[in-house]
Amino acid sequence: MLSNRTTKLLTIGLLVAAGTLIAETKKDLHFNVGPKAGVSIINPYGSISVKPSPGNTVVVNAVLRSDKVEIDNTQTGNRVDIQSHLLSGADPDSGRVDYVVYVPADASVTLHCSTGSLEAEKLHGDVTLEGAGAAVDVHDVSDAHVHVKTMNGAVTLDNIQNGHVEVDSVSGDVTMRSVTGPLIQVVSTSGKINYIGDFGSSGEYRLTSHSGDIDAVIPEWTSADVSARSVRGEVHDDIPLQPKSHTWFSMDKGRAFAGTVGRVAVSSTVVLRTFSGRIHLRKRPEKQQ
Amino acid sequence: MNCVELQQSLAEVEDASTEEQRSHLRTCPVCSALVKELNLIVSAAVDLRCADEPSPRVWNSIEAALRREGLIRPSRTSLIPSFSSRWGALAWLVPAVATLLLCFAIYLRHTSPITETARQTFVSTPAVNAADLNDEDLLQEIADNSPAVKTQFEENLRQVNQSIRDAQSWVDESPNDAEARRLLMDAYQQKSMLFDLAMDRSLP
Repeated sequence: MLSNRTTKLLTIGLLVAAGTLIAETKKDLHFNVGPKAGVSIINPYGSISVKPSPGNTVVVNAVLRSDKVEIDNTQTGNRVDIQSHLLSGADPDSGRVDYVVYVPADASVTLHCSTGSLEAEKLHGDVTLEGAGAAVDVHDVSDAHVHVKTMNGAVTLDNIQNGHVEVDSVSGDVTMRSVTGPLIQVVSTSGKINYIGDFGSSGEYRLTSHSGDIDAVIPEWTSADVSARSVRGEVHDDIPLQPKSHTWFSMDKGRAFAGTVGRVAVSSTVVLRTFSGRIHLRKRPEKQQ
Repeated sequence: MNCVELQQSLAEVEDASTEEQRSHLRTCPVCSALVKELNLIVSAAVDLRCADEPSPRVWNSIEAALRREGLIRPSRTSLIPSFSSRWGALAWLVPAVATLLLCFAIYLRHTSPITETARQTFVSTPAVNAADLNDEDLLQEIADNSPAVKTQFEENLRQVNQSIRDAQSWVDESPNDAEARRLLMDAYQQKSMLFDLAMDRSLP
């Protein structure tokens, strides 16, 4: 048997939970759009997840935490704008809205969110994700520009093919797995940068962190022209590189290395730079290949 | 006159009108492009300064139309008006600082691909003080409008300012090192991004 006190606590808990559920509302929006539509979502508190829709429709499934927030939406031609509109007295909890949005795979998507998470998957239109504290996850995207700006949110990019990728993060860690394309550029102030993949076949890969470590793990078949340099930190190279006959910066031992791995003819250019972080170029273990 | 001498001489004769300058520009496409861009920036800046301010009626009409369409609401405090009201007539400083940062970035981009000879002898270093970019105003703005994230902005701003100082010291130490300049440019871009994020419409 439950004691009186436990029963009271359980009752209060149930009432609070019920109150939350009652206040929480769902809102669904549908928009018909043409090819290469533009979709923009601004959400101060909460998450945004964007997935491909089968047809030329934009479907917005939103869960609003309370009546202190409402959703403004407009469609102008082929462009859809969604914005969470905080009403008086809204706070991070009551102003929270979680979105799951289905867009045509070729749509250009722009997401803004200050906290929470931003996620985009299986798209081949341009993707722009910005948010001071937002955690960003982009995966299974091809033939697209992917631009990410965060202050301290972690950034994860997975399976991005033929991408034009630009990531700027002040202190959030950036992790990339199987990310290839003509331009892959990451700039961070103190965040760590992890790259796991083969650097594609003819792109430019520039990974820079001022004080964060840079780790690149590459498979055996990688072809790349690699240069790494840490001004005050260390560099480690576990892979035999064919040294270059000429480099325009001094190759201080333990602070820089440069050379070619694999076939020169199909190699990408890889530039790893840090001021005080550590750079490590490693071969991926066989079992992960 | 070589590339380095020309770029140094531009500090004194900005329009590259001396015979020596003209003679070098005729044979050097890199410097010619640089001078063309500088002239473009100078002329654009003059146009901006001379642009007529529309009458208040125009702004009022636009505001009324936006309100009618529900695109702006009276209850929401925008960062932009707040900047304007705080700085009054000096509000133009915000885009001016952004323009200066942009010019600085363009300048650095143009100096990196110059010839190896020029790179070896190019010694001028940009002297921009990170502390002059109105950090306090930015933090005050965040404190007023998004106090929950003020500490995070403060810490990240501190890190970015430190990175600018580090990169600047490296440029001072190794003025011929293009990577040092690139790192400095990246550090400034990070700071510019922080300002950008602080003005982000998604901030509550």
